[in-house]
Amino acid sequence: MHIDTVRAAYRRYAGVYDLVFGKSFEAGRQQTLDRINGRKGLRILEVGVGTGLSLPDYNPDHTIVGIDASEEMLNLARERVAKKGIRNVESLVEMDAQKMTFEDQSFDVVVAMYVMTVVEDPQAVMNELKRVCKPGGDIYIVNHFSAEKAGLRLKFERMIANFAELLGWHADMPMSPLLSNAGIEIVTIAKLPPFGMFTMVHCRNSDTAAESLLQAV
Amino acid sequence: MSDTKTGSTAKVDPKLLEILVCPLTKGPLSYDAAAQELISERAGLAYPIRDGIPIMLVDEARTLDSDNAHPAKLAGH
Repeated sequence: MHIDTVRAAYRRYAGVYDLVFGKSFEAGRQQTLDRINGRKGLRILEVGVGTGLSLPDYNPDHTIVGIDASEEMLNLARERVAKKGIRNVESLVEMDAQKMTFEDQSFDVVVAMYVMTVVEDPQAVMNELKRVCKPGGDIYIVNHFSAEKAGLRLKFERMIANFAELLGWHADMPMSPLLSNAGIEIVTIAKLPPFGMFTMVHCRNSDTAAESLLQAV
Repeated sequence: MSDTKTGSTAKVDPKLLEILVCPLTKGPLSYDAAAQELISERAGLAYPIRDGIPIMLVDEARTLDSDNAHPAKLAGH
């Protein structure tokens, strides 16, 4: 789906986004933040920060930069930061996750929750996550992958499918091609509630090619 | 353009400027606090900052005058 279409969809639905998706996305956010919050003083990029649902939950010791394609969603995030008095959000920036406007190796941790299904070119986003992440840094992806068999999960999916379609989700996005990217080491893959509908992948940016190049200089 | 509203929260973190580049040229940006814009001299573009949120999209950028980073000079020649 083209970024302008995505932007238009989120412009229309920004106001009800938390109501519809807030609860469904909680487990993924919580799992991811639990892992990050065990550490200290990290500079974190949250890609697709949206309305800033997760911003209050980061360890105050971390510094957060949030990006999103939707100005309306970012305005809600800014209001949340102001209202809750969150002090560790360094910046919110509108940009395209497929071609980020950051220098290489800018962040210790890069987080992309519920982003891959909505972008036109998930591989481009993956490449960018890796590019802006420091070597040895961590990349967390939470994503939706379609159910393989009938059951509660499929029912639940169908329930929210109408809404998801409006937001341009690809329900059938495969995970493995994304992660076969050279220089990405998979640390953990965890299925998340409800019904294992979402998956959290924790990768490490093990760009040994870049490191050996640096050593050769 | 001179009436650009400057919200009370509108301020770009210097640490952000260190890592932010022009989407077109990947070159550096300079911060115009008065106009609330991020200027890419090389691209000849000014990216708006609205309510403290930089909009890093070429479509949203303002084209700079050909030989000057700053706008206006509207009257005469």
